[in-house]
Amino acid sequence: MTVDRATDAPRAEDSAVWAEGVHKAYRAGATVTPVLCGVDLAVRRGECVFLAGPSGSGKTTLLSILGCILSADRGRVRVADEELAGLDEPRRAALRRHRIGFVFQRFHLIRGLSVLDNVRVPLVLRAAPPDAARRRALDLLDAVGLADMARSHPRNLSAGQCQRVAIARALVADPPVILADEPTASLDAVSGQETMELFHRLTAQDGKTAVVVTHDPRIFRYADRVFHLDGGRIVRTEQQPSDALACTAGV
Amino acid sequence: MWSLAVHTLIADRGKLLTALVGVIFSIVLVNVQGGLFVGLIRKAGLLVDQGEADIWVGHKRMHNVDFARDVPRRWVHRIRTVPGVRRAEPYLVGFADMTLPSGGFEQVLIVGVDRVSLLGGAWNLTRGSAEAILQTDGVILDECESEKLEHPRMGDVRELNGRRARIVAMSNGIMGFLVTPYVFTTYERAAEYIGKEPDACSYFLVQTEPGADVAQVCAGIRQVAPRLEAFSRNEYSRISIDYWMTRTGLGISFGAATLLGLLVGMIMVAQTLYALVLDRLGEFGTLKAIGATERQVYSILLIQAFIMALVGSILGLGIVSGIQYFYSTPQAPIMVPWGLSLGSCVLVLAICLVSSLLPYYRIRKLDPMMVLQS
Ligand SMILES: Nc1ncnc2c1ncn2[C@@H]1O[C@H](COP(=O)(O)OP(=O)(O)OP(=O)(O)O)[C@@H](O)[C@H]1O
Ligand SMILES: [Mg+2]
Repeated sequence: MTVDRATDAPRAEDSAVWAEGVHKAYRAGATVTPVLCGVDLAVRRGECVFLAGPSGSGKTTLLSILGCILSADRGRVRVADEELAGLDEPRRAALRRHRIGFVFQRFHLIRGLSVLDNVRVPLVLRAAPPDAARRRALDLLDAVGLADMARSHPRNLSAGQCQRVAIARALVADPPVILADEPTASLDAVSGQETMELFHRLTAQDGKTAVVVTHDPRIFRYADRVFHLDGGRIVRTEQQPSDALACTAGV
Repeated sequence: MWSLAVHTLIADRGKLLTALVGVIFSIVLVNVQGGLFVGLIRKAGLLVDQGEADIWVGHKRMHNVDFARDVPRRWVHRIRTVPGVRRAEPYLVGFADMTLPSGGFEQVLIVGVDRVSLLGGAWNLTRGSAEAILQTDGVILDECESEKLEHPRMGDVRELNGRRARIVAMSNGIMGFLVTPYVFTTYERAAEYIGKEPDACSYFLVQTEPGADVAQVCAGIRQVAPRLEAFSRNEYSRISIDYWMTRTGLGISFGAATLLGLLVGMIMVAQTLYALVLDRLGEFGTLKAIGATERQVYSILLIQAFIMALVGSILGLGIVSGIQYFYSTPQAPIMVPWGLSLGSCVLVLAICLVSSLLPYYRIRKLDPMMVLQS
């Protein structure tokens, strides 16, 4: 079911993530590859939206712009009540550190660190008191069901477990916005479902705003809305039925 | 940040070990090389260091303890009048040839000491006693020179410049900077062996009264004997050492060899530190993506370099003292001054810190976007 964006779109101030007329092109020497050509997007606080689209359509690029990792060439972006235009790199790093949690396709855990230490990294970067950080990290590990693996190392974990550690890491510093790039793409169907279930439960229960890139239609039901990206624009927005989860969960 | 740095450092044991080996190698090399050098060059002042005299008085231009110029022996009386002088005795140093059982000969350095006080006599005796030189034709040789002198034994009789000499005691470890072995005997007999006038003498060894100001006593001696020079023990030892340092360029060649070794070790360290960072570029990218500032990333690198330098230095110095304990001999003494140890550690630390910042550019350029694209 397609909804008219013009009437549905929340205003900038009500949005946790908001973009308007975002353009982005990659330049390598003389060749210019336009990727985003005027993306408008608004995500309400506490909402969980998916970004879908064919490979190469610019989903990761858009997510990086929303995550303050990449700058747009043109257009306005607001994330967690902060206008991104004109922020210098230290301010952008601070924004990533304090307001955004990331979950990556390939987990990107730190090899030398135990599961617990990995989860603790964002708190260390925020110079949180060590004891409190430890307790908070253990709580999160408990929430993702890995409390008894705290001392293990990522190399001894399955892919699904690694992604759960990554989810714990994204949430540990309690950022209002969670961004995930294909969090289930490296997982098999079953652990993908489980991981998404967990992700959805944890972000929903704390009222986090989540933007998830995926092209796996089987997990669309976890989204409140799905944005379809193609040709550098959002071509379609799907409102998921509010009972979608309840229905499928009941099956 | 420390735990982050430490844990990621020990995660890659192979590389960590290579870097540590580099640090240890550098520390050991510098300290052992330097220790050998100091041990060697210090031999140049051996007689002065061990001679029990507080002040060495000799020719106005005296510049090396082993190469002495004659001064009139009778001036010892003037020196004895200087306030603060408890005792002053003549001392003779000069070359002579010793005939060997095989028919060959070897040049030796005769040291003649006052027969009453034995001031400046042989030390560290393993056989016989210092007083044994009072016996007829008595001389003392060192065991370490045994090879050169064709294994002399107690009681053996040799010829020194055609005169009889009988070995009445032996010391261990009296080896000077020159290749000529020391032979200790009484002043009078030394004068005969060397062929000196009875009134000629090389030095006056002075012991001061307890509590006397050595510099002041030296000044007093210069005053009563204006044609003599007087140096404290440390001064004359240093002057004797400088003689070789400045005339042979020994310091430069030893120093260059040591520095070269240090360079090799440090390149090893720098390279492994660099490789360590390149290896984990992805992880640094992750840290940047989740909001680590550049400063935080560098502090991780600096902490790691610091740990590496610290651990490597401690292990290295441990090995150095082991080598010193087992391999230091009178022929090749290894004397590591603490200043050298400290200096080498500081240098290694500095180089580690600098080389950990070598990948600065790579990290600076690091695009956190890579995390999302791999
Ligand atoms: N650093 C870059 N330099 C040049 N071109 C790039 C760069 N990164 C991405 N692109 C190009 O931009 C386009 C969009 O890339 P992006 O990674 O955003 O797509 P995506 O929708 O995430 O694709 P996928 O589903 O395969 O992950 C692609 O055509 C890609 O080749
Ligand atoms: Mg992508």
